[in-house]
Amino acid sequence: MSTEDRALLARAAAGDGEALETLMTRHASRIYRLAYGITRSAADAEEVVQDVFLQIVQKGAGFEGRAALTSWIYRITTNTSLNKRRGKRRELETSLDELLPRYRADGHRDGDRAFLVSDWSGTPERELLAGESRRILEEAIDRLPDHYRAVLVLKDVEELSNEDVAQIVGDTVAAVKTRLHRARMALREQLTMRLGARG
Amino acid sequence: MICRELIDIIDDYLDAVLAPDVTQELERHLAECAPCGAYIATYRQTRRIGAAAARVDMPEEMKARLRRFLAENLGGA
Repeated sequence: MSTEDRALLARAAAGDGEALETLMTRHASRIYRLAYGITRSAADAEEVVQDVFLQIVQKGAGFEGRAALTSWIYRITTNTSLNKRRGKRRELETSLDELLPRYRADGHRDGDRAFLVSDWSGTPERELLAGESRRILEEAIDRLPDHYRAVLVLKDVEELSNEDVAQIVGDTVAAVKTRLHRARMALREQLTMRLGARG
Repeated sequence: MICRELIDIIDDYLDAVLAPDVTQELERHLAECAPCGAYIATYRQTRRIGAAAARVDMPEEMKARLRRFLAENLGGA
């Protein structure tokens, strides 16, 4: 953590309103995005943001780790969000194995030909992100396990490297890449099942 | 290359980090395999729209509540 960040946290911990405002301006949105991405609930994400801010202000000045402040904040946010989700909404999560491609013994894709060649990618992005398509997409994201959503947000929204994501979630780079791949395959499968059928 | 192998390395292909010879082999497979062509196109679009859907903004009223919360709990703001 930089000297400047450490000083900012020390001022915030001493009740300096300007320092708190600076921390909020710099970090509140990214904390909320990640918390919402994992919890999928605005109310839960709001509680996570409040909790994370308390943690960074109360513990930040004494933080001895080498990580940058932003990485540390991502890590706290991920852990706090996953804790918040513990035991909730498991029924929505589908077994990912059912949503991965199936193969024949020779390694080629298995399944109904019409489904295999179904291609909805030409639909304009704005159309995919609105109305019924958006609802289908949101439901598909809801069905992913929490820790898969965590890596998806860190990688695809926050645009961190696989190495940084691995450090934040406390896993190996290989495990992060596998999780990302499985999450994206599961999303694609659900979207193709529902968007492909409409085309 | 077979479909399973292609799908295993699809992210590396889309991120353009594959070795040139592997990329060529993958693209040869793509040229001949309609299911893999559809798969890669929809996978690429899934990455895009999945990221776009997750780019949510923190509502302004929530930021105001956060300010009040921090003022009450940390004695600042």
